[in-house]
Amino acid sequence: MREVFSLRNGHAGRSIFRICNVFFMFLLLVLMLVPLAKVISDSFDRSTIYGLNFWPKNPSIEAYKSIFTNPNLRQPLLVSIVTTVCGTALGLTMATLGAYVLRQKKLVGRGFFAKFIFVTMVFNGGLVPTFLVLKGLHMTNTLWAVLLPPSVNVFNMILMRSFFEQIPESLFESAEIDGATPPQVFWSIVLPLSTAALASIGLFFAVEYWNEFFRYVMYISKTDYYNFQIKLRDLILSEQNINDPAIIGFANMVKNAGVVVAMLPFFVIYPFAQRYFIAGVTMGSVKE
Amino acid sequence: MVKARDWDRTRRQIRNDWMYYAMFAPVLVFVIIFNYVPMVGVSLAFYKFTPFARKFIGLDNFADLFVGIRAPQFWRAFGNTLFYSITNLVLSTILSVTVALLLNELVSRKAKGLVQTILYLPHFMSWVVVSSIFTLILSPQVGIVNNVLQELGIEPIYFLAQQKWWTPIYFFIVRWKETGWGTIIYLAALSGVNPELYEAAEMDGAGRLRQVFSVTLPAIVTTILIVFILNLGKVMNIFESVFVLQNPNVYNATDVLTTFAYRVGVQQGNYGMGTAIDLFKSFIGLFLVLGTDAINRKIRGSSVL
Repeated sequence: MREVFSLRNGHAGRSIFRICNVFFMFLLLVLMLVPLAKVISDSFDRSTIYGLNFWPKNPSIEAYKSIFTNPNLRQPLLVSIVTTVCGTALGLTMATLGAYVLRQKKLVGRGFFAKFIFVTMVFNGGLVPTFLVLKGLHMTNTLWAVLLPPSVNVFNMILMRSFFEQIPESLFESAEIDGATPPQVFWSIVLPLSTAALASIGLFFAVEYWNEFFRYVMYISKTDYYNFQIKLRDLILSEQNINDPAIIGFANMVKNAGVVVAMLPFFVIYPFAQRYFIAGVTMGSVKE
Repeated sequence: MVKARDWDRTRRQIRNDWMYYAMFAPVLVFVIIFNYVPMVGVSLAFYKFTPFARKFIGLDNFADLFVGIRAPQFWRAFGNTLFYSITNLVLSTILSVTVALLLNELVSRKAKGLVQTILYLPHFMSWVVVSSIFTLILSPQVGIVNNVLQELGIEPIYFLAQQKWWTPIYFFIVRWKETGWGTIIYLAALSGVNPELYEAAEMDGAGRLRQVFSVTLPAIVTTILIVFILNLGKVMNIFESVFVLQNPNVYNATDVLTTFAYRVGVQQGNYGMGTAIDLFKSFIGLFLVLGTDAINRKIRGSSVL
């Protein structure tokens, strides 16, 4: 549709508009990238004063070494990895089971189940009652408090259901004629046909579990169970009382490296995963 | 007679489909435990807690909040909540729509894709990461901003500890993180605008800007309204973004209802009061959504909900 307005038959006003637009986009990119570039560069730089450079003056990888070897930092990283992996698996289990059952049009009570679950999108008990329930179940100060509650995610379940609804009905009918039970159909027909959906919704869950912060603040006070996000915040807020430039330089480098490690997983998978994320969002907005 | 036979069939069907129910059971159990039981807990708002017992006190918690000893703190937190989230909502609508319109005008598909990829990136970072990035950049000792100021001969400024700086920086950071992601839905709406409308406007001698205001904006105004109303429902939930940037120096200006409820309800163990604050918050949220939708229905004649 843009050919109609191409530069050839355009006016001067239009070209000025275009040039301004490209310039604006460029500014926008600089604004987005400068903070990230600075943090990455400084994470490899053991200078006390960084200045305006975007390339390390005193290059060093000590900060990263320290994150992966110092038990104070390695333990939270492990907690983050373990909860992300387990949480994603648990979340996908819940989302697929729920979506598969909610997709059965003839099931008695399906409408009720759907409403029963969707209500939780609008109403919730709030901070304190949720805290008390978890406390009553002796889940506070255990990782269950951060693993279990977010695993049923209504939004992800709706997305999963709309993916499942694209599977042709005839496949189910023929499986039924062959005498397959619902779990067999689920395992050997639905799941293998939904790898794209599993990847996309799995990523949503992974982002959520990796970035989890609030639930740790609320439910966990044992430092052994802190995840990397909590530890990173502590690290950033910590002040060095010693006036030794070497120590200050190193501490700042570790802070920057901590930020980089906390974003690393998504920098690695983001270029491949972006279209899944967007597919999920646009589909979700249609459903709403 | 017919009824009885129907009922019989339904029962047979349920028995036949028991495996589906079994598969749904884990989901149901989790939802009941983690969502419905806490909903019942809303009644705590009407109780007073002592270390050994709880006592029904009716609306006393609310009276305390609205006019009693906690009133100054409560109204301040309420005012802050409205200020931060509504300003942010307005900013987000303006910025995301503008960026979406400009992205839509980019001729090169590749350039558009690249800009989008980079704009969406911060959405996936946690608030902790984003606040850490900006805490480092704005740091009085090592931050690049203060280093620039020093080169210019200006004394370093501890940005996040001063209220006059904290507020604009807060809005900048939130928009830095979420503006790009907010454009997705507008871009989807823009791709659905009929190209013939532009041709017609072109014929009538409309310039590029004129076309944006007369063709593009009217075409996506419904989307803008829907997004606005849905986000209005979340206005009262503002929390993590404020919490991670908060520090004792700016407590007064940055305390919002959720941080207040957390401090009173969880940290001080005043369960009844914490729940009361939360309940108030939910009511205002619901009221905002229904209210805006009613206004919208009056003006446009149709509901978006």
